Amino acid sequence: MFELIILIGALVFSLLIVIKSANLFVDHLVEIGGVLGISQIILGVTASAIGTSLPEFGSALIASLSGSTEIGVGTVIGSNIWNIAGILGISATVAGVIGTNKEGLTRNWLMTLSTGLILIFFMMFGYINWIAALIMIAAYCVYLWLLIKAQRKYSKDNTKTDKNLENSLKQKKGAINKKTVGLTVLGLLGLIVGCRLLVYSGVELARLAGIPEMIMGLFTLAIGTSIPELVVTLSSAMKGLHDLSIGTVLGSNTFNILIGIGIPALLLGFPVERLSLTFDAPVMIIVTVLLMVLIKTGNMKLNRVGGLILLITYLVYAIFRIFILA
Amino acid sequence: MYEKILVATMGEYLDPILEHTFDLIQERPTEVIGIYVVETSVPFLTPKKIKEMMAKELRTKGAEILASMEQEFQSPTHYMINFKKMLLEGDPADEIVKTAEKKGVDLIVLGTGKNIVDKKLLGSVSEKVVHSAPCTILLVRTS
Repeated sequence: MFELIILIGALVFSLLIVIKSANLFVDHLVEIGGVLGISQIILGVTASAIGTSLPEFGSALIASLSGSTEIGVGTVIGSNIWNIAGILGISATVAGVIGTNKEGLTRNWLMTLSTGLILIFFMMFGYINWIAALIMIAAYCVYLWLLIKAQRKYSKDNTKTDKNLENSLKQKKGAINKKTVGLTVLGLLGLIVGCRLLVYSGVELARLAGIPEMIMGLFTLAIGTSIPELVVTLSSAMKGLHDLSIGTVLGSNTFNILIGIGIPALLLGFPVERLSLTFDAPVMIIVTVLLMVLIKTGNMKLNRVGGLILLITYLVYAIFRIFILA
Repeated sequence: MYEKILVATMGEYLDPILEHTFDLIQERPTEVIGIYVVETSVPFLTPKKIKEMMAKELRTKGAEILASMEQEFQSPTHYMINFKKMLLEGDPADEIVKTAEKKGVDLIVLGTGKNIVDKKLLGSVSEKVVHSAPCTILLVRTS
């Protein structure tokens, strides 16, 4: 019992370290990028696309490096299902409605759906090797380039914003502050240590409670590492910043698959568990399609009823996966 | 009757709010202050860069709303209105009440249209303003 309490405490503590360290790392890395003269557009797009997803990526990578690949895959696929069905479900239910921008939604949704299908395709071989990993990482670079291109177009349309960006870029050029470098390194170290502790406590909790590691990854770690997505998506939906709300979730799902699985697979290769291929990954595709169906039927908005449908879908999936299939 | 009016909006219900304000003013010379408050509070664990991005988006949205208010209030048909706009940051209800006190307004015009579920889940700026406003309030029911 005492060991269980300590492990749950360690899990919560490590989650806090991971999330805060990811923020610290990304924020200061962006500052360094600014000083080095990298465009604010590129930095802004990259920071928002990667910022909230670093905890999933870190956990998947550390889990794979320490031999717990099931937890790694589980965290990534579980996060993607939770991001759409859980987080967008909660956000639409609380905020009442999440509006969409047709162009951005179509681009991000198609990318999320195709990355899910690409993952299933590679999973069919029973093992995700370095060639598949390289294709996935290259696909993410293309996606990032598309995002930057879209942001550049948006900025060109708003010439005033462009001038502001140029000014801020000029102001930021100069020597790199030692404190900034120190905080970036501290963020990275915190991320590594936090992820290691997170995976360790997850694996030990699974062993102690007699739960499969995959279930631990699919639910506990997946939901825990998605806390940044939850706070960003919910608060932006409540403030009426709908593009940011949907964009955070879809962008994170794309990153989770292409980089969260791509990089660990490049380093070590990823063995595929049968249930992941036959159940979890198809559910991930189904909720992605369901999201678009709900948005289309809601007149390009995800309304409260749609949010509740997503939440119920997640509950049904969790009950099936934990109590019947596990 | 009302010489100084504070018109507050978060972007919703703008048309009915303006319609009711014009109806109240009629042909009298009136000072109108249009206010939009950027709510900068975010939950714990929100990344700093995303917080900055949210504030920037909301400031842009606020500036657009105030510009459309300005266009309406400064149209030739409303020549007797002296319009000023204010883009503030903080808690919307607190900032509306503080501005009303500081500027000595006679009336605050606000929209209200949330159903009971939305009020419970999202809270209501108009309800908070009603409890602490220093002057008369016109709540425009929009749904």
